[in-house]
Amino acid sequence: MDTKTDAMVRVRESHRYGDFAVHENIEFEVRENEFVCVCGPSGCGKSTLLDILAGLLRPTEGQALIQGRPIDPARQNISFVFQEPSTLPWLNVRDNIAVGLRVKKRPEREVRQIVDDIIEVVGLRGFERHYPHQISGGMKQRVAIARAFATDADLVLMDEPFVSLDQPTRERMQHEILDIWQRRRRTIIFVTHNLEEAVFLGDRVIILSSKPARIRADTRVALQRPRDTLSAEFTALRAQCATLLNELSRQAGHVAPEPARAV
Amino acid sequence: MNRTDSAVPEAARAAAGPKPSAGRARTVACNLLALGVVLLLWELGAEKMASPYFPAPLEIAAAFERLATQGDVLGNSLWDHMGASVTRLLVGFALGVALGVPLGLLMGLYRGAYANTRIVIEPFRFIPPIAWIPLAIIFFSGIGRYAFLIFLGAFFPIFTATMVGVGRVEPIHRKVYQVYGAGKLQILRRVVLPTVLPDILGGMRVGLGTAWMTIVAAELTGGESVGLGRMMVNYSELLRIPEVVVAMLLIGALGFLFNEILLLAEKYLFRWRWQVAL
Repeated sequence: MDTKTDAMVRVRESHRYGDFAVHENIEFEVRENEFVCVCGPSGCGKSTLLDILAGLLRPTEGQALIQGRPIDPARQNISFVFQEPSTLPWLNVRDNIAVGLRVKKRPEREVRQIVDDIIEVVGLRGFERHYPHQISGGMKQRVAIARAFATDADLVLMDEPFVSLDQPTRERMQHEILDIWQRRRRTIIFVTHNLEEAVFLGDRVIILSSKPARIRADTRVALQRPRDTLSAEFTALRAQCATLLNELSRQAGHVAPEPARAV
Repeated sequence: MNRTDSAVPEAARAAAGPKPSAGRARTVACNLLALGVVLLLWELGAEKMASPYFPAPLEIAAAFERLATQGDVLGNSLWDHMGASVTRLLVGFALGVALGVPLGLLMGLYRGAYANTRIVIEPFRFIPPIAWIPLAIIFFSGIGRYAFLIFLGAFFPIFTATMVGVGRVEPIHRKVYQVYGAGKLQILRRVVLPTVLPDILGGMRVGLGTAWMTIVAAELTGGESVGLGRMMVNYSELLRIPEVVVAMLLIGALGFLFNEILLLAEKYLFRWRWQVAL
């Protein structure tokens, strides 16, 4: 890996729980405004990687840097879109979106302005006063995404954000996230075990092996957006990644049900 | 707030909920009907018994009027009795909340603190407040005595409910704030408290019941001349049952009123929930 200085995120770490090695020499860089997808067999330590990138977990060796500085959630702006619904049930849509802005103590006038703008972008206009139990699962995830994009996040982390959504909603959300990302340029690290999703969304797809996780492949997706999932180039690239992932899963001792379904 | 309800029927319907006004009027009517039926049965029973120890509703009303306008045999007005009981109750109850909530939060957040001291804490829960009356008479006087006893009655339901409620805090909600760099106090205020508040209010309603039970028992034995419990004892010694029943009904009515106030607070505070548990 080269040592370019314009990297937004630089990771170089190994992590272990006691004797159990989770990550081994995980090393990569992410440029500003790059959309990077991370794939790997289930249980390979993808969520651990996100916790390290969020500054919630310190790796046992090495470190992760944002703009050259060690990650500290209090000092840097990091957003996280979780796999499970993360809307706070006692806050309405508007206040849920404003959570990050309020923690960062932005002036209330600014908060109102930013939330108004982002509500428009994610298509939740008219639902500002609704509580989470009054809206659908897809809308809740849109609230979480709006929350993540509301702060001037240096880094947006996404942990399989669409996994609990049904297929049509999921596809719509994939288009929406690209749309939002193109309007509000951000650096995104997006974890998924769905290869099609990874190849569809990412500028790059990083494939991790499991136990311990190593970077097995780091593939640039040089396809024009919007990408046609049925085009020859797309299917070829997806198949190439799938072969790799299947191989890894077999090595890890289980017949990868998830990647297989994704292909 | 301009909601585009027509465009979003599903969510709008959920937001509107069931038609509140019509349902409420019906509920009020049913309650009044139930009250009427009970009064009627009571009246019939009293006529059948024709005993001075089974006063009819109208006799109760007359006794209430006498007490309200002329005061009792000792010259205390009904308002003195009610005022004394309510003040004692509120002071003791406020103490229960002021200690029960912070301690519950603390022990809920630091389970070790509870686990390591529960041999001291838990047995107290099973000592009924009225069992403390002899000691309370020795160690306290005036309002302090009642406040202490009511505190004992209110504390544990509030403390326990708060502590258990802390366990309901979802790790994901905590994490939402942590990733933005929120500190412990912010998480306590913005995540833990909103999660636990329904349990606290629930505990307060249970505590209110125990508090009323305790105050009447305490006033039955205490030396003061005012308080609804005291008034009841005075009149039972005179075998004047209508006044005794007036005291009983007032205790019930005041308890009901306080409970309704807490329920209203719940409805307002927890409008984000599907429904308020009754």
